[in-house]
Amino acid sequence: MYKNKKTGIVGIIITIIFLILLVVATNTDVSKVSYIENIVNNLVMPIQNGLTYLKNKIAGNDSFFESIEVLQSENEELKKKNSELEQTLREFEVVKAENDTLKEYLNLKNKYQNYSTIPAYIINRDITNYSNTVIINVGSEDGIQENMTVIADEGLVGHVISVTAHTAKVQTIIDTATAVTSKISTTNDTIIVQGTLEDSTALKATYIPTDASVLQGDSVETSGIGGIYPKGIHIGTIREVINTNNITDRYAIVETAVNFRKLDTVLVILNNETK
Amino acid sequence: MKKVLATIYLIIAFFIVYFLQANFFSWFTIGGIKPNLFIIFVLFIGLFAGRKMGTIFGLILGLYLDLLLGRTIGISGVLLAIIGMLGEYLDKNFSKESRFTIMLMVVICTVIYELGGYLFNIVRLGIPLEIFSFMKILFVEIIYNILIIVIIYPIIRKLGYALENVFKTKNILTRYF
Repeated sequence: MYKNKKTGIVGIIITIIFLILLVVATNTDVSKVSYIENIVNNLVMPIQNGLTYLKNKIAGNDSFFESIEVLQSENEELKKKNSELEQTLREFEVVKAENDTLKEYLNLKNKYQNYSTIPAYIINRDITNYSNTVIINVGSEDGIQENMTVIADEGLVGHVISVTAHTAKVQTIIDTATAVTSKISTTNDTIIVQGTLEDSTALKATYIPTDASVLQGDSVETSGIGGIYPKGIHIGTIREVINTNNITDRYAIVETAVNFRKLDTVLVILNNETK
Repeated sequence: MKKVLATIYLIIAFFIVYFLQANFFSWFTIGGIKPNLFIIFVLFIGLFAGRKMGTIFGLILGLYLDLLLGRTIGISGVLLAIIGMLGEYLDKNFSKESRFTIMLMVVICTVIYELGGYLFNIVRLGIPLEIFSFMKILFVEIIYNILIIVIIYPIIRKLGYALENVFKTKNILTRYF
């Protein structure tokens, strides 16, 4: 395809750079690219400031004109205070991160203290784009069996579909093959939530009763029907209700309480009945 | 002996591919969509080591993946075996000399593998059909696989011909010459 070796290498390098840019661009949160925002701001803001100054002057806003020396000394003082605050903030962030980790472990245990649980780590995630199963580091030797419920601090994760001696395969609720009978906690209306290919952070809620009033922000939890998931485990909140011409076809998008991309620690409920 | 050694190398290569797919490419995604290195790997074996090796490797690797992470056992094995088998057919009809034909082969194999797996899951697990979402994911996956081929083509060619020399040596009947 390429005429000589040099052109071939250049082609490969260009492709690698293109791939990296593509991956970075498609995975970067807009809020995290504040430096780009800064560049864009720097291009426009000096002119905008000048225009505002002119506008204020024309409007007779004299408060703008203060002694430059006073402003400079004030600025120096504020800079000093700012650096002190930044230092305190950094220390606070370190303490907060430590606190969060400790809380996560404690919360997990306390929140579901009515259930007999065993903690586990996710050691492998799905390698394909069309399913969402994970492997956890506990297995039959730890008392894990098929169909046991897996939860996290924020809510429901999924259920165990197969077990080996030291690992277990968990089918998450965002997997397209999972359907969970659940209920809207405010109205107690029963719905079915199912994973979709479209969005790995949301579920599709169907079979909404025609007389049910579903509102954005309503909490969804397991109903206990079906025999796998215990009753009352938080699944997520209604993000959007999609109305169709036929009311029986309407559905809702449920935002999962668990962030599956960042999920690392889970609890496996050993008995579905409370202690 | 050479064949045994080459087979061991291929098994080691599979584990490298697996860890790359499970770790690096789970993070290095295009909008959350991963490439499928197993398709490229099995096609590579089928193209250069022949139909028999391609089919056997495809079947065993697919079953291994199914057992490790799959929701059902067998479908990845069957589909990867088909890709391994297709390798020799594609080798006979297209040139391996061109990067473009290899890219085209990867496109065909990705469509066969992912479409086959998706249709099977619809029938077997009763998952709802989401044709647009599926097409969108498939399209990005194909683009990603093509980009990987562009990058690793020199390696594929070099290692491929070394593999071909081991597995596809022609038995010349010297007495007739």
